[in-house]
Amino acid sequence: MTKAGDLCLSAAGARVILATSSDERHPAEHIMDGNPETFWTTTGMFPQEFIISLSGVFKINKITIHSSLVKNLRIETSISKEPVNFEPCTEKVLIFVYLLIYICFLLPQLSGIQAAHLRFVILSAYDHFVAVYSVSGDT
Amino acid sequence: MGKLTAKCIVAGDSSVGKSTLVQLFSSNGSHFLKNYSMTTGIDVVMKTVQIPDTGDSIELFLCDSPGKAVFSDMTEMQWDQPGCFCLVFDVTNEASFSSCTKWLQKVRSKTSSAQLPAVLVGNKTDLSDRRAVDKLEAQEWAVRHGLVYFETSAKDLENYELPFQSLAKSFYHMYQERVENFKSLV
Ligand SMILES: Nc1nc2c(ncn2[C@@H]2O[C@H](COP(=O)(O)OP(=O)(O)OP(=O)(O)O)[C@@H](O)[C@H]2O)c(=O)[nH]1
Ligand SMILES: [Mg+2]
Repeated sequence: MTKAGDLCLSAAGARVILATSSDERHPAEHIMDGNPETFWTTTGMFPQEFIISLSGVFKINKITIHSSLVKNLRIETSISKEPVNFEPCTEKVLIFVYLLIYICFLLPQLSGIQAAHLRFVILSAYDHFVAVYSVSGDT
Repeated sequence: MGKLTAKCIVAGDSSVGKSTLVQLFSSNGSHFLKNYSMTTGIDVVMKTVQIPDTGDSIELFLCDSPGKAVFSDMTEMQWDQPGCFCLVFDVTNEASFSSCTKWLQKVRSKTSSAQLPAVLVGNKTDLSDRRAVDKLEAQEWAVRHGLVYFETSAKDLENYELPFQSLAKSFYHMYQERVENFKSLV
């Protein structure tokens, strides 16, 4: 098992391998590019999701999400080699702060969970579209 | 290049021509439903609309809903989180126009966003001798409730694509505005 400080960043080998919805100007790669000013947008209808694959199996203690207008979010993890067999590990309602970037720390539910892949399912939102600026994780 | 998707609720009283308009629009004007067949559940029809001069497009998922009240409990559950709304009445049927307030309330109650692009469509303008709803009256009602008004005749292939194109454009502009907002947050 590997240890890393910021395991979800592209620099640490993590990649977004799948995202629903598509605007080439705001692709899902923006979630992982380490730039706080770029973001991924959903392009209509819910649910929407993206999957982040890590460079190996990691023990996760904290996940931080910077997003706007997300309401119901479910996070699932998988320890398979391929991004399959996901199991839900937490479901959360983000409190609405109009037009502010909501910074969400998911600590207790995630503490000590192992994952090779993380799947973020946005079930509902406060508007037709949401943005995700970044996702990072700590081990 | 971007591709948006929008769930478009098509609702209104029974036999006003919702299914006819949806079929006509999705078949590019080649398929007019001459014989009435009652819609009993939500029929979803996907139609891609290009946004002029942009290279962007929108997939409209047209949710053709039954007008008959017996089916409403089942179908209205599926209206969750609508992206836009096409409200249809029959210009020869006064009651179908009166029902519009009810339909609008129902659909608006399903959205959690501040804006829901919506159009009001007065259909069957070819039956001009039986007209029962005044154009101005319908227009005023639409403006008062924040909808854009169109008159169509599915039978004469008149204006049938305009309401949907208008919705697609509104939805697209809403997206652009929202993206500008997202940019300004950082
Ligand atoms: N004259 C005329 N008839 C029309 C027009 N549009 C639809 N119709 C006819 O009206 C009847 C009802 O049309 P539908 O589209 O099935 O009505 P609907 O609103 O889907 O009805 P429900 O499914 O019961 O809610 C059909 O016989 C159509 O041929 C029109 O513009 N002019
Ligand atoms: Mg019908």
